[in-house]
Amino acid sequence: MKRTIRMVGLLALGMLLAGTARAQEIKVGGSFDITGLTSDVGKPFANGVRDAVAWTNQNGGINGKKIKLIDADYGYKVPEGVALYKRLVNDEKVVMIQGWGTGDTEALKEVVTKDQMPFFSASFSAHLTNPAKTPYNFFVPPSYSDALRAWLKWVKEDWKDKSRNPRVAFFYGDNAYGKSPIEAGRQFAKEIGVDLVDEEILPGLVQDATSQLLNMKQKGADYAYTQCTTPPFSTVLRDAKKLGLTTKWGTNVWGIGELLIAVAKENAEGVVGALPNPPFGTDVPGMKKLVEFHKKNHPNDTHDTNYVRGWSYVMVWTEALRRADKAGQLNGPGIRAALETLRDYDLGGLSQPVTYTKDDHRPTTKVTLYQVQHGKLVKLKEYENPRKPEWIGL
Amino acid sequence: MRCGDFRETYREDMAIFETRFARGLLAAFLVALAFAPAFATSFWMDVLNRVLIAVVAATGLNILTGFTGQISLGNAAFLAVGAYSTAFLAGRLQLPFFVAIPAAGLLTAGVGMIFGIPSLRLKGLYLAVATLAAHFVVEFTASHWDSVTGGVNGISVPAAHVGGFEFSGDRHLYYLLLPVAVLLLFFAKNLFRTKTGKAFVAIRDQDISAEVMGVNVFKYKLLSFGVSSFYVGVAGSLLAYQAGIISPENFPISVAIDQLGMIIIGGMGSILGSIFGAVFITLLPEILRLFTGALSDTFPKLVDLFAPLRTGMFGLAIVLFLLFEPDGMAARWHTIRNYWKLYPFSY
Repeated sequence: MKRTIRMVGLLALGMLLAGTARAQEIKVGGSFDITGLTSDVGKPFANGVRDAVAWTNQNGGINGKKIKLIDADYGYKVPEGVALYKRLVNDEKVVMIQGWGTGDTEALKEVVTKDQMPFFSASFSAHLTNPAKTPYNFFVPPSYSDALRAWLKWVKEDWKDKSRNPRVAFFYGDNAYGKSPIEAGRQFAKEIGVDLVDEEILPGLVQDATSQLLNMKQKGADYAYTQCTTPPFSTVLRDAKKLGLTTKWGTNVWGIGELLIAVAKENAEGVVGALPNPPFGTDVPGMKKLVEFHKKNHPNDTHDTNYVRGWSYVMVWTEALRRADKAGQLNGPGIRAALETLRDYDLGGLSQPVTYTKDDHRPTTKVTLYQVQHGKLVKLKEYENPRKPEWIGL
Repeated sequence: MRCGDFRETYREDMAIFETRFARGLLAAFLVALAFAPAFATSFWMDVLNRVLIAVVAATGLNILTGFTGQISLGNAAFLAVGAYSTAFLAGRLQLPFFVAIPAAGLLTAGVGMIFGIPSLRLKGLYLAVATLAAHFVVEFTASHWDSVTGGVNGISVPAAHVGGFEFSGDRHLYYLLLPVAVLLLFFAKNLFRTKTGKAFVAIRDQDISAEVMGVNVFKYKLLSFGVSSFYVGVAGSLLAYQAGIISPENFPISVAIDQLGMIIIGGMGSILGSIFGAVFITLLPEILRLFTGALSDTFPKLVDLFAPLRTGMFGLAIVLFLLFEPDGMAARWHTIRNYWKLYPFSY
């Protein structure tokens, strides 16, 4: 009998302790693509987020509190992403969510606003940067539109023949991600004197881009920009090589990276892309902890710029959690308010310094262009777009 | 104690529920379903709602493919038509849900019948490809008719409401979905006791014989496309209300494949099969996800291995069912039920 009482007492004590331990936890939701269409970049990103959370927990946490990352794979399927969101918010009671794709971010933007749930995602659509419309959507790198503007500026500078304007073509998919920067690109090209001569639509799974490329050749484009991911972009590059085109290629964040060099090999030579995060292992101040952590925890894996991107996200929102926690406001509106106090918050070179304000959620307008030179990603140039108020949301 | 299955009157032979016990059991099950929201977490409410929508859609597909023998890959498209018409009717025209849902169903039925016209001349794989065209036509329209569909960014759908009451949230919506699903299931079950239903089955079994017997094959094929699309359209309409915002990314071709998977696994030509299949295919990823989620703390490495399992399990389930139970879960259910019905004296 005595033993039973002691056991019950111990159990109760244990539960009490466990209860207090849980109170010191901050629950953050994660919605990743590990198996879906974009898993080639989604998986390293997810690993980056997980590792960065583990690192944060080992290094002081959020003012001593631990982050509990509750994450799952949604396979890049919108309904499953929505279901996962509901589970994270209503059952797991997370304070914010680290999300992923364009489709689910778009589908959830109204719900997120209604629930006042800070939602970080890897969809850099400029229309998510207008807090008047999407006050709870955040991302860390420059928007797709700013990336395209920076590339157009580079085109203008790179073009040596002053007798006429450079001619460009846009390649994009017929979906929200593909079309996102196109209108901004059209306007900006006109503004700075670059002639947009052709727009070509890429299907979801590109097996062959010959017909689009022949079209483009006919229109005489000197440069072309692709708003698509690495696999279709490599197909485009392969077919361009086959046709012997001399067009200079540009691409967005998801088109360039270590993966492009691995897949497209020598066809990737000369490609210019807006890469917001340096390749893994680049010598920047913030990289040291990544490399060390990586060596300790998965010595046999290789990781890329997407892994770095995952880390950069976590660095931004852990800082916001710290500030919100200090203010005693660890909830949706509190975290949003904390995020909006970030001014040029330095990420140690892992991504551009981040600023959010109450009426402007553009994290940064600085775009870093990289070029593939001799099979390596080489930093080419950095452009800063002006923070024009009329460009919010475009 | 029963020791055999004796039917003494035509009435008994035609009965949907053979015993009073079965009827009681069904009533109890429906009551239990009605009280489910009191116990389910909001995540399970979402899953339950998606199951109900999938049941309606799978029943629709089963009417066409399982009962009439016309294979269709256009189901995602018809789902989209239902969803977008609801977005238009309820959003733009401010119509209440009890108008919008049937109207969306009828509109989809119309679209379905247009795409069903090739079935007069095409059969089997050729028809599948023709319906596949429907998918791409609708997908293209959805992403380019910006003024109606909102283009690639999607369009939001207001919550269903009646008077001052709003079906906001999954718990409320469930009470809209459940009656609609039950009603449609009963209709489908009864449909195959009528002349029309029998004509469908006759076409499936042998279209030439059916024609010889005096069944107007073209008329009934088209009718089957119409009824089936009506179901799928209603499912799309419910899906629109549940999702709140719809875009072309909600209706990829994989949705059509999943639904074919549902009726193959559940049982072609069986209403019960549509239910089983829809439940199975909708729950499979969720359960695997919860399973891997529970393991992720202890075996973080395993999660990366388990995650792709869902796709594999889907394929494996279809192959195993085709091999060992071509008539689906419904057939297995009947075997089990018949065994117990006459237990212990089965002769």
